[in-house]
Amino acid sequence: MKKSFYTYLSKPAVAALFLGLILSGCEKRLDITPYQTIAADKALLSEGDVDVTLIGAYDGAQNAATYGGDIMVLNELIGNTANINFTGTFAGLSDAYQTQMVSNNSFAAGTWSSAYNTINRCNNVLSALDKVTSSAARKSSVEGQALFLRASMYFELVRLFAKTVGDGDASTNPGVPLILKPTSGITAADYPSRSSVKAVYDQVVADLTKAESLLPATNTIYATKWAAGAQLSRVYLQLKNYAEAANAANRVIQGSGKTLNTDFSKLWFTFINNGGASPAEYIFSMVVTAQDGTNSLNTYFGRQIPSFPGSNGRSDCKIKPAHLALYETGDVRRNFFVVSGGNNYSQKHLDPRGNVPIIRLSEMYLTRAEGNFRNGTTVGARPLDDINVIRRRVGLPVRTSVTIDNITNERYLELAFEGHNLNEARRLQKNVGSLPWNSGKLILPIPQREMDVNKNLVQNQGY
Amino acid sequence: MLMIRKSILSVLLLCVSMLSALAQVKSVTGKVTDDSGAPLTAVTVLIKGEKSGVNTDATGSFVISNASGKTLVFSAVGFETREVLANLASLQISLKTDTKSLSEVVVTGFGGSQIKRDLTGNIARVRGKDIEYMPTPSVDQALQGKAAGVFVNAQSGKLGQAVTVRVRGNSSISANSQPLYVLDGVPITANDQSSYGGDMNPLTDINPNDIESIEVLKDASAGAIYGSRAANGVILITTKRGKAGKTNVTFNVQSGYAEASKRIRMLNSKEYAELILEGAAYRDKLDGTPVTDPSSWTAYVKNDVMDYFSYGEWSKDPNKSYDWQDEVFQRGPYRQADLQIRGGTERTKFFTSFQHLDQTGTIIGNNLQRSTGRMNLDQKANDWLDLGVSMSLSRTYNRRLPDDNAFSNPLQAIALMPMTPFKDPNTGLASGTPPGDVNIPLYYNPVLSVNYGMYTQDVYRTFGNSYLKAKILPGLNFQTEFGVDYLSQNEEGFFRSETVRNQTTAVRGSGTNTGSFITNYNTNSYFTYNKTTDIHNFNATLGMQYQQSQAKYNSTAGTDFPSNSYQKIASAATKSGGSSSQTDFRFLSYFLRANYSLMDKYIIAASGRIDASSRFGKSARQGFFPALSAGWILTNEKFLANVKYLSFLKLRASYGIVGNAEIGNFPQLGLFSGDAGYAGNAGQRPSQLPNDSLRWETTAQADFGIDFGIFNNRITGEIDYYQKNTTGLLLNVNIPATTGFGSIFKNVGKLENSGFEFVLNTQNLVGKFKWSTNINLALNKGKVTDIQGQIIEGGVSSMNRVEEGYNVGVFFTPEFAGVDPANGNALFYKNTKKADGTLDRATTSVYSEAQRVVVGDPNPDLIFGFTNNFSYKGIDLSVFFNGIQGNQNNIYGMGRYSSASMLYEDNNTADQLRRWQKPGDVTDIPQVRLYRVNGSQASSRYIVDGAYIRLRTVSIGYTFDNKLLSKYKMDKVRIYVSGQNLMTFTKYPYWDPEVNADSFDSNIAKGNDFYTPPQPKTILFGINVSL
Repeated sequence: MKKSFYTYLSKPAVAALFLGLILSGCEKRLDITPYQTIAADKALLSEGDVDVTLIGAYDGAQNAATYGGDIMVLNELIGNTANINFTGTFAGLSDAYQTQMVSNNSFAAGTWSSAYNTINRCNNVLSALDKVTSSAARKSSVEGQALFLRASMYFELVRLFAKTVGDGDASTNPGVPLILKPTSGITAADYPSRSSVKAVYDQVVADLTKAESLLPATNTIYATKWAAGAQLSRVYLQLKNYAEAANAANRVIQGSGKTLNTDFSKLWFTFINNGGASPAEYIFSMVVTAQDGTNSLNTYFGRQIPSFPGSNGRSDCKIKPAHLALYETGDVRRNFFVVSGGNNYSQKHLDPRGNVPIIRLSEMYLTRAEGNFRNGTTVGARPLDDINVIRRRVGLPVRTSVTIDNITNERYLELAFEGHNLNEARRLQKNVGSLPWNSGKLILPIPQREMDVNKNLVQNQGY
Repeated sequence: MLMIRKSILSVLLLCVSMLSALAQVKSVTGKVTDDSGAPLTAVTVLIKGEKSGVNTDATGSFVISNASGKTLVFSAVGFETREVLANLASLQISLKTDTKSLSEVVVTGFGGSQIKRDLTGNIARVRGKDIEYMPTPSVDQALQGKAAGVFVNAQSGKLGQAVTVRVRGNSSISANSQPLYVLDGVPITANDQSSYGGDMNPLTDINPNDIESIEVLKDASAGAIYGSRAANGVILITTKRGKAGKTNVTFNVQSGYAEASKRIRMLNSKEYAELILEGAAYRDKLDGTPVTDPSSWTAYVKNDVMDYFSYGEWSKDPNKSYDWQDEVFQRGPYRQADLQIRGGTERTKFFTSFQHLDQTGTIIGNNLQRSTGRMNLDQKANDWLDLGVSMSLSRTYNRRLPDDNAFSNPLQAIALMPMTPFKDPNTGLASGTPPGDVNIPLYYNPVLSVNYGMYTQDVYRTFGNSYLKAKILPGLNFQTEFGVDYLSQNEEGFFRSETVRNQTTAVRGSGTNTGSFITNYNTNSYFTYNKTTDIHNFNATLGMQYQQSQAKYNSTAGTDFPSNSYQKIASAATKSGGSSSQTDFRFLSYFLRANYSLMDKYIIAASGRIDASSRFGKSARQGFFPALSAGWILTNEKFLANVKYLSFLKLRASYGIVGNAEIGNFPQLGLFSGDAGYAGNAGQRPSQLPNDSLRWETTAQADFGIDFGIFNNRITGEIDYYQKNTTGLLLNVNIPATTGFGSIFKNVGKLENSGFEFVLNTQNLVGKFKWSTNINLALNKGKVTDIQGQIIEGGVSSMNRVEEGYNVGVFFTPEFAGVDPANGNALFYKNTKKADGTLDRATTSVYSEAQRVVVGDPNPDLIFGFTNNFSYKGIDLSVFFNGIQGNQNNIYGMGRYSSASMLYEDNNTADQLRRWQKPGDVTDIPQVRLYRVNGSQASSRYIVDGAYIRLRTVSIGYTFDNKLLSKYKMDKVRIYVSGQNLMTFTKYPYWDPEVNADSFDSNIAKGNDFYTPPQPKTILFGINVSL
C-alpha cells in the first residue's frame, strides 16, 4: 500500500522547520567579544581606568628590555669590556660586547620597541588626566609619574641610540623620534623622523622638571619627587650643566631625608634577604616579585653559588681580575665578589628576584660632588665631604683633598656593574677599549625593522 | 527385454528433458563476501547479457531465478567486478576490493560522495588500509608521500609534536597554512594547545586505525563547500562503520623498538683541545703574551676551561673522551595493540575499536601513551528515518621534552665538551648534580631535567557525532548532524631543586599545572536531492553549518616546596603564578552544491558557500565562495570506442574562490589588555590597533586535469596543473615601534602557487605473483608577488624572510665567500647593488659590508611518494619511499656555536678540523680565534641542501593458509615485520633533513635546525588475527 505524500512529508518537515527556527538567530551569535581584553574606546573612561593604565606604564618600564635591566646590561657589556669577560651565547649581547653590532641586533631592537611601548602607555595616561577628579594632588601625582617614566625612557633612548652631548652639534645631531600623543590608529604622523638630540633633552628636562614639581615626597614603591630630581641630576650631568646637576642632587639629598645604608653589603639580595623590599637608599627601583618582573642584570651577571642559597643566573659576565686591582685595600666593595669555577662574579646581581636599582642615594653624593667640583661651588656640601661619605661607608680612610679623577673613580667603583659604564665613558670622553668615546660603534643601531618600516628615519653612522 | 530397455531409455530421456526443463526455471542462490569473509550488501547480481538483476541482502545472500548454467556478473562499488558460471545451485562468491582507483568512492563533504571517475574537482584519497598500523602516532604524518601535492614534514623526532602539512604550497604568510581537518563532518581542533615546549599535535588523539578513508580536497571546486576555510585544502577523515553480516573481529599486536635515525660526528677530546688551544694561541699572539705565561689565554683554556669542566680529568688523561650523544639518545621500545569488531544486521550496524599504544622516544625523557575506544552505530529506525552516532574517547599521555632552544633539550648536550664526563667523579651522579659542582658542565646538563624533572601532558578527547537522515520524497533527503569535539587537557610540570641552573625559579622546587578545555560544537543540516535517468544524473545539496568553539585555559604555578618529595602545588609555599583565560570563535555558513552529468560523458558541477565569522571586521563579515567545474569522459564517446587499449579518459577543469580565516581570534578589534600589573597591583595596557575592514584571505584557484586508464585500467593515472592566486593576505603588517605597537593585521599583498601533479597506479603483474606500483609526484612553485614593502622575517636569527619574487620564507642572509688563504679571515660577498644594477661580487672580511641576499628556500620544489607492493601466495611485501627535492635547511641555530671557530667553548662538529691554519691554506673553514668572531655570523655558510629520499616504510608479511586456519575458526592470520625510516639518502650534514626547530616555527620560518631531534628509525614485529 502506498503511503500518502503527507505521511512522508510531515515528520521530517516538522523537524526541519523546528531546526530552522533554532538556527535563525545564528547571525547574532557572531557578535562576541574577547575576554582578557577590552575595547580600546572603553578602556580610559574613569579615574580608575587611568590609575591602572599608569600601573601598566610601570609594567612597561619593568620589561627586561628596558628597566628590567637590559639597558644597564648593554651599558656594561659595551662600555666595560676591560673589566668583564662575557661568555654568554646570546648573539645580540655577544655582538654588543665585541662592539660588532649589526643593524638587526635583537637587544637594540628590544630596548627600542619596549621603551616606545612604555612611552605610549605614558601618553595614554597623560591624554586622560581630565578623568582624574578625586583630588588635585592625585591628578598631580598621576601626571608626574607618567612624565617621569616617559622622560626616563627618552633619556635612555637618546643616550643609547644617538651621539652623546658634546659630540658635534646636539641641535642638529639626530636623536630619537619624540612621540607625545597616544596611538589609536596608523596615520602618516606615525612615521616620524628623528628629533634632534637637543630637542629630546629639552623634552626630558621639561618633563622631569615638571614631574619633580608635581610628584609627592612619598609614594610607596612608585616614583617620588626625589626620583624625578635624581633622574634630572643625571640628565644635567650628561648635559654638563654642573650647577643644575649639583642643585638637583642636593634637593634629593636634603629633601628626601634618606640616608646611606651603613652596611654596603645589605644593599643587595632584596628578595633573598629583605623580603622583596628595596633598602631606603634606593631612590627608585623596579620591583620584582615571585609573580612578576625580571631582573636581567641577574640573568647575565648572576650565577648559582651554593654558598648563597637562592642565587642563580647564566654566569655570562665574569669579572676580570684586573677589575679587583682597582680597589684600595680595605674597600668593602672589593670583597663584594665571589670566586666560582675559577672566575669572579659580582655579588650585586646574584638574587634572581632582586629588585633592579635604577638610582641609589650614593649616586646623588657623587653627582653633587662632581657638579660642585666642576662648577667650583659647595651647594649642600664640599665635594671632599661628599666623597668621604661614600668612602666611610665602605671602610676606606677619608681623603683630605679630592681631584676630579678621585670623584669619577669613586663613582665608577661605587656604581660598578650597575649599568652606567657606556654612558659614563661617553660623558667623560674616555676610551672604551681601543675605541674613542665618540666612536659610532658605541652607539646602538636604529633597529633594522624600524628603518625598514619607517623611511623617515636615518641610520646611525656605521650601520 | 527390448521393451524394457526402451522404456528405461525413454524414462531416462524423460528425466533428462525434465531436468533440463527444470533447470531452465531453477534459481541459483548464494552468498557474496569481501576478501576478508565479511558479507557484502547491495551487490548487483546480473545474468550476463540481461538487464534485470537482484541485489544481495544484509547477510550477503541472493536468489536469482532462471540463472543456472549461465554466467553471473557480480558488481559493487569499490569492488572488482567478477563473472562466475552458475554451475552449482549454491554459490560462495568473494569479491576483491578494487584497487583500480577509478571506481573508488570519494567522500566530498556534507554527506556527499562520488565515484572517482565522475569527479570534476581534485580530491586525493588515501585509504585507511594504506596507513594501517604505521608507527606514526598521528594521521597527518601518516599522509606523508601518500597523496600528490600534500607536503608533510614531521619537523622533529619528539613524540606527538606538531607536523607541517601544506597542500599545494604555502598560500599564506601571517595566517596559518595548515589544512582544515574535518572528522566525520566536524571541523576539529587541530592547532597546538600546549603551554610548554614546541607545538603539539591534537590529531594524535585520533586512532589512525579507525580511519576508513582520508580525502584531501585540493582544488577550489572540491574545497569551495568549505568556503573561507578551504584555501589551505581540506582533509576529510571518515571513520569505519559497521557492515551487515558476520561479526568480524580483528586483533593486531605489534611491538619493536626505535632508534635515532642518525648520529653526527663531533670532536673528541684530543681534537677539541687541539682546536681550542690553537684559538688561544692566536689570542696570545695578538696580546703578545707567551703561551707559557700563567695569565695567557692558553693557560686559561687549559686550567679554567678544559681541566675545570672535566673535574681535573683532562690534564690526567687528555685522550679520554665522551660522546654526549650516547647520553641522550636511547633505544625506545614500541608496543601497540588494536582490537576492531565490525558487524551488524540490515537495520543495525556497528563498528567498535580499542587501541593501546606505548611508545618511548629515541631521546631520553620522552614517552607517549594512547588509549582509544570508538563506537560507530547506524540504525534504520523505519522506512524513512535513519539515525546513528559515532563516539570516540581517547586519552593521550605524553612525557614531554622542552623546546629545541632550551638548555634542557637533551640534544643540546652535544654542545658540552668531550672531556666532560657523564658522571661527576666525586659523587658518581650525573655531572652538574648537587652536591657536586653545579656549574659543570659548560652548560646545564640536560640529563638533570630527565632525572629530576618531569613535564607531562594528559589529553582526554571526545569526538562525537549524531545524525538523523530522513527521506522526504523519492530522491529528496534531509540530514541533520550535531557533532562535538571536546578536548580536555592537563599539563603538569615539576622541577626539583637539582634543575635550578636551568629552571631558575626551582631554587626549592618549582611546579606548574595547566588546564585547557576546548569545546567545539558543530551542526550541519542539509537537503540532498538525487535524480537519475538513463541519460541524466543530477544531485544537489543545500544546507547550513554553524560552528562554535570555546577555549578556556587556566594555570597555576608554585615554588618553594618543603622538600623534593612534595611535588603538587598544594605544598608550594609561594604560588608564583596563576591565570585563567578564554577565547571563542564562531562560523555561520550556508552552502549549495550541484552535480549534473549527461549520458555519462559531460559532467558539470557548481558549488558555493556564504561564510560569516566572528573573526572579521563588522563591515567585512560575510563572504561568498563560488566554484564551477566540468568534466568530459572521452572514452564514452563513439570516436574513442574503438581504441581498445584506452579504457578511460577524462578531461576536467575547475575554477573557484576559497578563503583562509586562520589568524587567531579578534584580530580586527582595538584592544586594551589587563595583563600589565606591576608589583602586585593591577594594570592595563593598549595591546592592539583596530581594523574594521579586516577579512579573510582570498585564493582563486584554477585546475586542469586528465584522468586516464589504459589496458583495462591496469594502468591508471592523473595529471593536474593548477594555479592558485592568493590576494588580500592577512598580513601582520609591521608598523613603526615608535607607535607603541609592533604590527597590525591588514589585508595586504599577493602570492601565488602553481604546479603539476602526477599520479600513476600500475598493476605490473597480476598472476600468482602480483606486483603493483603507485607513484605520486608534485611540483610546486610558490612566489610572493606583492607585499607592499613589508619586511617580514622569522626563524633562527631572522634569516627566513618574505621577499617579493620568491617563495614564502626564503633564507635571506649575507653570502659566505670562503676563507682568505692569506690570513684565515672569513670572507663574504659584498653583493651591494652597483650603478648598473648588477651586484658587486667583491669579497670583504667586514661582515657589515655584505648585503643580505636570497641564498636558499626551505620549501621543496618537488615532492614524491613511490610505493611498490608485491605478493606471492601468502607472502606480501610493501616498499614505500618518499622524498623532497630543491629545498635548503638552515643549520645556523647549532652551527653558530658548534661550527664557529671557538667563539664559544662548545664542542665543534668534526668538519671544523679542516680549518685554516697557515697562510696558503685553501679551505672553507676560517681560522680558529678563541672568543672572537670569524665567520660565525649568519650567512649562507649555514644554509645547506635539505633534499632527501627516505625509505619511509618497508613491511613484509606472511598470511597463513585459509584451510589451515578454518580448523581453529580463524579467518586470517598474518605475521609481519615492518620498518620505518630505515634508510635516508641525503647530503644533509646534521641529524635529519626532515626538520623544523619548534622554537622558531612559524608560517614563514621553516627548515631550521636547532639541536632538533631526528626522526626515529623503527622496527616492529606484528601479528594480525581475524575471527
